[in-house]
Amino acid sequence: MASIDITDVRKAYGAVKILHGVDLTIQDGEFVVLVGPSGCGKSTLLRMIAGLEDISAGEIKIGGKRVNELDPKDRDIAMVFQSYALYPHMTVAGNMSYSLRLRKTAKEKIAKAISGAAEKLSLTPLMERRPKALSGGQRQRVAMGRAIVRKPKAFLFDEPLSNLDARLREHMRGEIKKLHQDLGATSIYVTHDQIEAMTLADRIVAMNAGIVQQVGSPLDLYDRPANLFVAGFMGSPAMNMFEGVYRVANGGSVELAQGIVVPLAGPASTADGTKVTLGIRPEHVVVGKDLAGGLAAEIDLVEPTGFGTILHSRAFGRDVKAFSLERGLAERGDTVSVSFPVERIHLFDTASGSRIG
Amino acid sequence: MASEPYLYSAPALILIVTVMLVPLVIGISYAFRDMTLLDPFSGGFIGLDHFRAIAKDKTFWLALKNTVYWTGYSVALQFLFGLILALLLDKPFYGRGLAQALCFLPWAVPSFLSGLNWAMLFNPVVGPIPHWLYGLGLMSAPDNLLSSPTHAMWGPIIANVWWGIPFFAITLLAALQSIPRDLYEAAAIDGATPFQRFRSITLPFLAPTIAITVMLRTVWIANFADLIVVMTNGGPADRTQIVASYIFTQAFRRLDFGYASAIAMVLLALLLVYSMLIVLLRQTLLRER
Ligand SMILES: Nc1ncnc2c1ncn2[C@@H]1O[C@H](COP(=O)(O)OP(=O)(O)O)[C@@H](O)[C@H]1O
Ligand SMILES: [Mg+2]
Repeated sequence: MASIDITDVRKAYGAVKILHGVDLTIQDGEFVVLVGPSGCGKSTLLRMIAGLEDISAGEIKIGGKRVNELDPKDRDIAMVFQSYALYPHMTVAGNMSYSLRLRKTAKEKIAKAISGAAEKLSLTPLMERRPKALSGGQRQRVAMGRAIVRKPKAFLFDEPLSNLDARLREHMRGEIKKLHQDLGATSIYVTHDQIEAMTLADRIVAMNAGIVQQVGSPLDLYDRPANLFVAGFMGSPAMNMFEGVYRVANGGSVELAQGIVVPLAGPASTADGTKVTLGIRPEHVVVGKDLAGGLAAEIDLVEPTGFGTILHSRAFGRDVKAFSLERGLAERGDTVSVSFPVERIHLFDTASGSRIG
Repeated sequence: MASEPYLYSAPALILIVTVMLVPLVIGISYAFRDMTLLDPFSGGFIGLDHFRAIAKDKTFWLALKNTVYWTGYSVALQFLFGLILALLLDKPFYGRGLAQALCFLPWAVPSFLSGLNWAMLFNPVVGPIPHWLYGLGLMSAPDNLLSSPTHAMWGPIIANVWWGIPFFAITLLAALQSIPRDLYEAAAIDGATPFQRFRSITLPFLAPTIAITVMLRTVWIANFADLIVVMTNGGPADRTQIVASYIFTQAFRRLDFGYASAIAMVLLALLLVYSMLIVLLRQTLLRER
């Protein structure tokens, strides 16, 4: 086990810059999730930590030791691939023991290590099968088993659950979390799925276009997104965003389309007249009849999820989404009143995208 | 109508029977007949006489030995160099496309032409190779390798290897490129050296392709007399005579079609047995996957 220090790491393929200077410190035993849309450079960063890609600039340290020049095998890390990358000509036992056999570990020790891992992952009855005779979930567990028998300094996961169906994905998510609580190993987990990120992470690193957007605990990112990207990326249904102009008057407010003015909790750190974006999560939008300070909205779509209801409405010429645990709050075509509680409003500078209140 | 499928396939079947099966049966029947082109009274059935003659024919046995030698070395070296070339071309590098095209060029050269070329290269009067070999101390004098009583076979073998490398390179390269890259990455992380990766990933993936291509090439090369006929014509003193070129000599020099056909049947039987063995081997390898 070890900490991982990433200092101003950059990656370019020829003239195309993929990572623009990533700084990140991962504590010993921490579970960090890299999340971001497809193509933002998550895999590239992970593969650079693994030693599968050259580091164009910057430095990566594992356990305090610079690894830039080390081969993957000398970095003492284990990786779980999206495709699992199981060796098709070896049995499950062969796959799991391969790294130990290459290290010339004693036979009894290998047997003990793989039977222990098989036990943990309920693979014991499958040990003599070949990968092609396994289901997706079983393959995934073999890939995990192959990683844990080594007792590496760190685990790297590249979208390990993406090829599973929703039910299995949820189950394996729990398994991975338990395994981490069990082993306490430093882990970096790449995903584009924000639910996976929220549920698994000690800390989330949100990335976009090769730049780290925000680092923090899952609830930090959810409650106080640092910029428009994080605000829009985390959460489902996605946050409502309304462009407007900041007004200093009345202790701070935002003037939206059609002259609608929404009061804020307090003054924001920007000048009067600045273009701003007001954000509010659907679950924080209050829907009712004749609310004080409410805005008239016409419901144009009702989506029941079973767990709750998503109401799509149209107010001041904008789409407003609301999520409520209550059923039967409104029907399509109803006119309701929606309001944005001041303490739930996020405010961003439209030009820079950064949070200003 | 129950006969309908047969009616539909009849034209194709009739064509196949007339252009393939009939000549084949006639050819096979020659093996049991006295068929000498210049003797108008020949053509009678003589049973297994030809086969008895083959059993006692010293040249045939020498040719059979030569065939094994010629085929064994040709296939082994074509395979070895083809594999090396495929592994080199599998790695990305600047100008790979051009290199690939160039490497596959020999395949496009007609075999007779390449035989003539190599014969010239080995000829000390016009070709450089004897002088190089002499310069390297591999030969005591710059003589023609093709007339060496001991090493003449290496002339056609070298020409054949040069000519046949692309076949292995193309097929092996295709197989190499179908191996998922992340297997190599997983193995690199697991601690495998490049050689260990080759052994535990590349080879098992290539094995079925290797089995089938080696079989095809072996059968093809054992039957392949062009280069030998052009370069040495079986000489000196039958040292480079292989069964296929011996059949050619019997049929078109001595005009003894009966005897030539009998030899061809022996060769056919041997190659069939060999192919069956390889097919079985390949089945086993595929089941391993
Ligand atoms: N070998 C390569 N050559 C050029 N561009 C690449 C290469 N590998 C990845 N990229 C580019 O780098 C970007 C980031 O890729 P990746 O890290 O795989 O994204 P993701 O966040 O989806 O894992 C993508 O735009 C991709 O096209
Ligand atoms: Mg990726």
